[in-house]
Amino acid sequence: MNGNTVLDIQGLSGGYSLNRPVLHDISFQVNPGEMVGLIGLNGAGKSTTMKHILGLMNPQKGEIRVQGKKREEDSETYHGSLAFVPESPLLYEEMTVREHLEFTARAYNVTRGDYEERADRLARIFRMQDKMDSLSTHLSKGMRQKVMIMCAFVARPSLYIIDEPFLGLDPLGIRSLLDFMVELKEGGSSILLSSHILSTIENYCDRFIVLHQGKVIAQGTLQDIAVQAGTNGAGLEDMFYTLVQGRD
Amino acid sequence: MMDLTKLRAERRSRFWGKEVLPYIGYVIQSGVAVLLLFMLIAFAAWYTSLVQHIPTGLPIRWIMLIIFVPLTVNSSFRTYLQPADIVFLLPQESNMNRYFNASWISGVVYKLLGLALVFLISWPLYVRSDEHPKNFWLFLLVLIALKLLASYGCWKELRMVSRRASMAYRFLRYVILALFLAAWLWQPAGRSVIFMVLLAATYFAALRIPAKHLVAWERLIAQEKIQSGRVLMILGWFVSVSGRQQRIYSRKWLSWAGNRTPWKPQTAYRYLLMKSFVRSDILGIVLRAGILGALLVWWNRSGMLGIGIYLFFVFVVGVQLTSLLRYHSESFWLHVYPIPPGSRRINAIGLAFQIQLLFAVLMWLPLLEAGVAQLGSVFMTLAGGVILCLLFRYFAGRKKTIDDDDE
Repeated sequence: MNGNTVLDIQGLSGGYSLNRPVLHDISFQVNPGEMVGLIGLNGAGKSTTMKHILGLMNPQKGEIRVQGKKREEDSETYHGSLAFVPESPLLYEEMTVREHLEFTARAYNVTRGDYEERADRLARIFRMQDKMDSLSTHLSKGMRQKVMIMCAFVARPSLYIIDEPFLGLDPLGIRSLLDFMVELKEGGSSILLSSHILSTIENYCDRFIVLHQGKVIAQGTLQDIAVQAGTNGAGLEDMFYTLVQGRD
Repeated sequence: MMDLTKLRAERRSRFWGKEVLPYIGYVIQSGVAVLLLFMLIAFAAWYTSLVQHIPTGLPIRWIMLIIFVPLTVNSSFRTYLQPADIVFLLPQESNMNRYFNASWISGVVYKLLGLALVFLISWPLYVRSDEHPKNFWLFLLVLIALKLLASYGCWKELRMVSRRASMAYRFLRYVILALFLAAWLWQPAGRSVIFMVLLAATYFAALRIPAKHLVAWERLIAQEKIQSGRVLMILGWFVSVSGRQQRIYSRKWLSWAGNRTPWKPQTAYRYLLMKSFVRSDILGIVLRAGILGALLVWWNRSGMLGIGIYLFFVFVVGVQLTSLLRYHSESFWLHVYPIPPGSRRINAIGLAFQIQLLFAVLMWLPLLEAGVAQLGSVFMTLAGGVILCLLFRYFAGRKKTIDDDDE
């Protein structure tokens, strides 16, 4: 294992029942300042992999380390090193947008000054200034998704796990998110991003992991994937299509 | 064609059979149920003695008005509708009357039975204290008619397109029902019946004015969420109920609450809990219990009854606050965020204790009116209230529920 690796997954097998694992011997790493795209068909195991990283599911085999630490060794440091943006927004109905950000900042031990500065900036970037004091129940789906993204970004951990973040976002929201992710990446943060919008993430991710039926069938840079798919010069979508076609 | 009557019946039996019935055993076993039984016996004894020795000048008409206005006005309907119905039942919209018929009937019949029971209980007090009591059957008939009228009005309000109109008609329903009852209690029967008939006809006509949905899906689904949440909340007083939905109130005037919580991960959960508490239905219930408790304590401040009432209301507030210990027990973020292990449990127990203590002191203040002569017993009562709060904290600490979530 590389000493600087932010996320290190080795030989991960797991799922909802012992007899029927969903993930089979998955291994990959995410390094500092790297944005890695996790791609696969519906049911390929992307969300299950993320749930294992978040500690919501326990591996049947293999291990997961975040910043060199396993969850069992130091749960607080482990969880403090990562932030998650789920596919569907999960908000507290009884809290306003601002309160969600404040709760996150408190939990992640972000100082009050940093929180205020980040919250203001995020509200501006995601055009949520007018909604900061609205209860989450009064927000549209896209706005709720923005709150999820803002919460993750207010925490500023070393690793972001982002599951299908573009769903429900308007075009400006998507652009703001991509720009912000690039900024975080350049600042040294790592991002594991799952998305079906391959044409978008193709230009932003440094590496890709292609999951199919719970197995890693290809991984590496765009060039590496092209070699593994045998489709030189094609876009990510074509490479992906070639890789998964005929494997069912 | 889809059998909508059967669908509702199935949903109804699923709710009561699968979601409520499994808890009934625990409710019966719980100490709270025993205490309520004792309270019922105590109330029966107190009420019997009150009826036998009615104080002169008892404002019985006001008492009847205060009891029966909420009982007749309050209307609600269980539809068992689910969010997915907007998609799957929408094609059946024109036939939904068949689905809602049973909702209407059960929404009215059970409440009528309750109303009749309360009327039956209050009758001896009324008939003995009012100088010109109305005829028993006529009074009961008026109450039933008013209840039906309020339920009809409520059902129409649920269908109104404009939320503002709906709110305005709700207010109108309260005013009209209060007027009806006041007229019935204070005016001669004949005259008040004429007044009621005329006013009811106007009310019926007024209900026809606002535009209405054929089926107000979103509002009915939101109402159903509130109704089922209420049932599970009552169960929650006795046992830990999973998956219960809270009703949320924005209460902007309380948005400052929790902001002064120390800024550190160890108290992050307290911040969340405080925000949840001030916007929950628990705050409303605890406040109502507190105000009622303080009033009753003040009324009975010079006797042993006052002390008993005080301790009972400290207990009631404590029972309500136990819900705080179960708040967010299934929250996703509390598993993902780096909340220090064990802090949830400490925060929840601490907050519930502090709120209960605050109420214990506030409800005790009216006892000070008893004067210097009883100062000893007044302070002993406060000590009793504080001990009760400490007992709640002790027993909450022994419960494992939050411990398990922290793992």
